[in-house]
Amino acid sequence: MIEVKALASSSKGNCYHITDGKTPLLLEAGIKFKEIQRKLDFQTSKIKACLITHEHKDHCAGVPDMLKNGKNCYMSKGTAEAIGIEGHRVKTINAKESFTVGTWTILPFEVEHDVAEPLGFLLANEDGDKLLFATDTYYIRYKFKGLTHILCECNYSLDILNKNIADGRIPKMMKKRLLRSHFSLKNVKEFLEANDLQKVREIWLLHLSDNNSDERRFKDEIQALTGKPVYVP
Amino acid sequence: MSKNKQELAMIKKDTVDVVAGKVKQFQEKGELHFPTNYSPENAMKSAWLKLQEIKTGKQDGYRPVLEVCSKDSVANSLLNMVVQGLNPAKNQGYFIAYGHSLTFQRSYFGTMAVTKRVTGAQSIDANVIYKGDEVDYEMKHGKITNLTHKQKFGNIDKEKIDGAYAVIVLPNDQVYYELMTMDEIRQAWSKSQMWGKDQKEEKKGSTHDEFKQEMAKKTVINRACKKFINSSDDGSLVIDHFNQTDESAEEAQVEEEISNNANGDVIDIEYNEPEPEQEPEQPSDQPDDDLEQAAMDFEQKEAQTTNGPSF
Repeated sequence: MIEVKALASSSKGNCYHITDGKTPLLLEAGIKFKEIQRKLDFQTSKIKACLITHEHKDHCAGVPDMLKNGKNCYMSKGTAEAIGIEGHRVKTINAKESFTVGTWTILPFEVEHDVAEPLGFLLANEDGDKLLFATDTYYIRYKFKGLTHILCECNYSLDILNKNIADGRIPKMMKKRLLRSHFSLKNVKEFLEANDLQKVREIWLLHLSDNNSDERRFKDEIQALTGKPVYVP
Repeated sequence: MSKNKQELAMIKKDTVDVVAGKVKQFQEKGELHFPTNYSPENAMKSAWLKLQEIKTGKQDGYRPVLEVCSKDSVANSLLNMVVQGLNPAKNQGYFIAYGHSLTFQRSYFGTMAVTKRVTGAQSIDANVIYKGDEVDYEMKHGKITNLTHKQKFGNIDKEKIDGAYAVIVLPNDQVYYELMTMDEIRQAWSKSQMWGKDQKEEKKGSTHDEFKQEMAKKTVINRACKKFINSSDDGSLVIDHFNQTDESAEEAQVEEEISNNANGDVIDIEYNEPEPEQEPEQPSDQPDDDLEQAAMDFEQKEAQTTNGPSF
């Protein structure tokens, strides 16, 4: 049984603690290590490793301290170069080449974001649970089988964004970037509809935009669409 | 065949006639004035003839756009064209389908036409600066003024372009200049769908390479017009549509890209039994010819290339 705990989930920082009861992992380290420690009641010694999707600060700010504290950080070569870190604890991985960390088998895959070499992760464990982690991607290239946990970005809704632009709250230029870098509510829905959700137990909507989202509405709409418990940290 | 004709007549009724009605409303309310030499009816007729011939891309099996695209998108693209006072018969723009939405995209001739109309500009010209040319200008109130450019015929060499500038001459003899270095021009080109992700210079034999001067002029004119039009008038129906043209094309492009690429092959792993899978690589682009039409063709082709990398 997988347990998910969101330590931070926004453009100010992203960090998720997941465990199958045997191997605890961090997905992203986009906040300071101190904060990670605090949010986990200083129970960080068991964390086996950390998976990083890309080089933006809100996803990797805590990486240097993680490394100092002896945690392996897995990321693509492009991401490691863009952050500018190296060392024996930095494990570079390639899309579609699976690896294992403790009781997890992990398959990284390419995602669509305006950075060097961003990745998403599919994680399977011996209990037959399968967790998908995909953030900062304006769509997902693939479909998946037998997912039990979906953690995916749901950044903005086009109608809210357009209203914000019309009202002058958001500069127009931002829209151009958002369209090709972040997951919109509509596209998240299409992704969920394209996948077999039979075994899904939890859906987590991550990284909601401060201005261009509506937590209550996103949760309700995804819940209505899927009939699954939806969490918005 | 007759069924086909009937269907076409229905689409026409739902799009062309609706747009014509809307345009009339705008005119009656005084929100829209056309120059005497522009007939919205004629532009619409030209557009309708063109639309019947345009086919979708490969992904939709080269079907007629009028069969594939939503009526709303057809009507919107026609409205967009008419409000800006453009005519596809004069190469001022073209219609392109992205998935199920049709968009109207202005060519740079169109951009110049709208700029002239909105600002009353007398002329819009551009020129290329070669290595060794003498260029002199002053900055007054943060604006470039009195730009002079002396060129020796021997300096002309497309491999030695230092930059380009555009000049918009206004009715009161005021002049607006836009100046770009070659680096800035390349930066703009690199946003093109035809450029690879880390491409720094134009590829040998590409349109940007072969018609470098024309392309540089086109780029600087486009920038001059877009900046000028947005700074010169405090918003009108025409300017809204001028800006909307770019925006709706952008939205439609992203939508098509997503529907082509998203949620494709299944990838999977089992615990301790990794099964990595391969994805076929996507092909890139190819070049084209002819100088006069090059800029136009290029714009059109660029807009149609949807498999290119994002940025």
